[in-house]
Amino acid sequence: MKILKYIAVLFIAAVITQTAMANSLTGYQIIEKAVNRPAPKTQKATLTMTLVSSSGSKRVREIDQFTNDDSKVEKKIMFFQKPADVRGTSFMNFSYSGDKADDQWIYLPALKKVKRISSDSKGDYFMGSDFTYDDLGDRNPKDDNHEILREETLNGEECYVVSSTPKDKDYMYSKTITWVIKNKWIGLKKIFYDENGDLLKTLNVIDYKNIDGYWIQTIVKMINEKTKHETIMNLSNIKVNDSVPNSYFSERIMKRGIK
Amino acid sequence: MKLKNFIMAVIFFMTANYTGLFAQEDEMNSEPGSEPEIEERVEKALLSGYIRNYMGVLTNGDNNYAIIQNTFDTKIEKQTKNVGFKANSVLYHYPEKDIELTLREAYVDMYFKNMDIRIGKQQIIWGKADGVFITDIVSPKDMREFLLPDFEEIRIGVTGVKSDLYWEDHTLQFIWLPVFSGTRPPEINSIWRPEASFPVMPVFHEDNEKVENSLKNSEAFAKYSLMTSQIDFELMGGYTWDDDPVMHVYKTINPVTKQITALDVYPEYHRLAAAGGSFTFTLGPFVLRGEGAYYSGKYFNSTASELKDSVIEKNYVNYMTGVDFTIWDIKNSTQFIQKIILDHTSDLNDDKFQNLATYLISRDFLNETLNIQFFVYYDIDNKSSLMRPKITYKYADGFDILLAANIFTGSQGKFGQYNDNDMVYSKISYHF
Repeated sequence: MKILKYIAVLFIAAVITQTAMANSLTGYQIIEKAVNRPAPKTQKATLTMTLVSSSGSKRVREIDQFTNDDSKVEKKIMFFQKPADVRGTSFMNFSYSGDKADDQWIYLPALKKVKRISSDSKGDYFMGSDFTYDDLGDRNPKDDNHEILREETLNGEECYVVSSTPKDKDYMYSKTITWVIKNKWIGLKKIFYDENGDLLKTLNVIDYKNIDGYWIQTIVKMINEKTKHETIMNLSNIKVNDSVPNSYFSERIMKRGIK
Repeated sequence: MKLKNFIMAVIFFMTANYTGLFAQEDEMNSEPGSEPEIEERVEKALLSGYIRNYMGVLTNGDNNYAIIQNTFDTKIEKQTKNVGFKANSVLYHYPEKDIELTLREAYVDMYFKNMDIRIGKQQIIWGKADGVFITDIVSPKDMREFLLPDFEEIRIGVTGVKSDLYWEDHTLQFIWLPVFSGTRPPEINSIWRPEASFPVMPVFHEDNEKVENSLKNSEAFAKYSLMTSQIDFELMGGYTWDDDPVMHVYKTINPVTKQITALDVYPEYHRLAAAGGSFTFTLGPFVLRGEGAYYSGKYFNSTASELKDSVIEKNYVNYMTGVDFTIWDIKNSTQFIQKIILDHTSDLNDDKFQNLATYLISRDFLNETLNIQFFVYYDIDNKSSLMRPKITYKYADGFDILLAANIFTGSQGKFGQYNDNDMVYSKISYHF
C-alpha cells in the first residue's frame, strides 16, 4: 500500500513538474528553441521535390545542395539535376545573421552567365512548389508574437502547440500554428492562415532522423488546402559536418558544379 | 556529304550508347542505397539535349510559313576532379532544305587548384545586359533569323583557349582565339535580310570578306571580375575584329550627267579594340545593372564626297542601365541602351545618338506550369519596336509547349524594316 502511495506521489510530482516546466516556457522560447536547436556547421544532401496536382499528376525536381553555416552567414548552393530542362541551373544564397538582406545569384546554363537576383520576394514560391522561400528559411522568432495554445500528442510525440502572429500586418500569413516536439525541439506540423485568416496550407513532417546528433526533417509534405496541390520534399544522401569549403560558394562552382 | 555527316553522327551515338559511355539516370538511381554520392554524379558521361518542333506563320499577305524546323540537340559531357569535356551538336531539319548539322560547342577542360583552362569550340558570354550586346563581344552572332532564336542559338561558338585564374572573390580571365569567325548574316533571299537601298544595282565583291587564319589575325580578350555581397562587377578589354564586315562602296560617276552609273561593294572586316565594364547590385527590392564599353576602330558608312569608298573610321561608346524588380508576383526588367558615335559628322549614315529601350514582364501561374511573358525592344529614334508575347505551358517534366508572336511596328530602323514579318509561332520541345 505504501508502495502504491509512493508511486502515486511520484506520478503526481512528475505531472506537476512537467506542467511547471511547460508553464515556465513561453511561446517565444519554444519557437526560439526550435529555430536555434543544434545544427551542423555543414551539410550535403539531395533534395527531391515531388509536386502533385489536384488531379494527381506528378512532377519531380531533384537538387543537390551544400550548406556552410559559420554562425555569421549561412551559405547555400544548389545544383538542379531534374527535370532535364533545368539541369545545370544553380542557385546560391548567402543568409546573414543580422538584418542584412540575403544575397542571391542564379546561373542559367542557356544564358551562360551568373545573374544577381533580389531576395526581397521571400513570398515567391520555390520552383513551383507549395513552399515559399520564407517557408524554407528560419524565420526570426522576434518577427512574430507567440502564444502557447496547448500541449498534445501528435503521431506519438508530445508536442507544444504554439500560435504565431506576425508583427508586420502585411506579412503573407496572418497566423501560423506550429507543433513542436518536446525535448527534440523539432517542428512536426505547421498550419498557415492567409491574410484573410482562412486556412491556406498544412505542413506535415512525415519523417525525421537524428543524424550524428542533429535532428533533421527528412520527409515533409505541404498541402495547399485551397488548390489541393501538394509538395513532398525528401532529403537523402545527408552528410553533416563533412567538408564543404568556402570555395564551393563562388561563381566558378556555380558554373562548373562540384566534382 | 551532309547526309554522310548525319549518318556518322547517328552511328556515333548508337556506338556510344552500346558501349555504355553514357550514364543513364535510371541506372544511376535505380537501387536504393546505390545512389551515387553527390560529388560522384558527374563522374560518368551524361547525355542530354532536346527534340523540338518550331513552326511559324507570317500574319501578313498569303500567310506563308516563316519557318518550319525540327531540331535535335545533343550534349555529351563528363567531368572529373581534374578534367572534363563537352560536345554539343545540333541537327536542324527543314522540309525544303538539306539537313544542317553543326557543332555548337566541343571543348576539353583542365581544372587546377586556382585555375581552369578550356580549349576548343566554346560559347563565351560576357556582361550584365539582357538581349543586347555591349561588352559581350567574344562570341559572334547567328543572325539568320534576326534576334528571334533563343540566345543559346544566337551565339556562335568560337575556337580558342580560355583560362580563368581565381583568388578569393576575384577572377581573371584570358581568351585567345586563333581563328576569327564573324556574324552569320541572313541568306540572300531570307525575309530577315536587312534592307539596303542603293541608287543603282550594286555589284558585290566578296573576295575580301574573310580574315586569313594566321597568328597575327588572332583575337585576344581579358576580363577581371569580382563577385561580392555588395556588388558584382567586370572590367574587360579586347583586341578583336568587328564581327560585321564594313561595306566599302566605290561609285562610278558619269562625268557628264554626274549620275552614279555603277556601284562596287567590297565587304571587309576590320580590327576593333574595346574596353569597358559592367556591374550589378541590389538596392532593396531592386537589382540595378549597368554596362558600357568604348570601341576604337569602328568603320561607318558616310556620304562624304571626299571618301572614295564611302567609309570612315570613328570611335564610339555603347552603354546600358537597367533595373529588375518584382511587383505583385510579376517580374519586371527594363533597360535603356544608348550608342554615341564620337566626333560625329552629319554625313554619317548613322545618327550620333542611337537610343533603345527594352522591357520584360513575366508571371508564373499554376505552380510554374504556365508562364506568360511579354518582351519588347523599342527603337526610340525610329519609333519602331519588336514585341514578343509568349505563353509557355509545361505539359510534363521536360515537355514544353510555347505559343508566341513576333510583332514589328514602325516603318524604318532596326525593327521597322521587318514590319511585314509579323508572325505567330509555336515551339514544342522535349528535353531529355
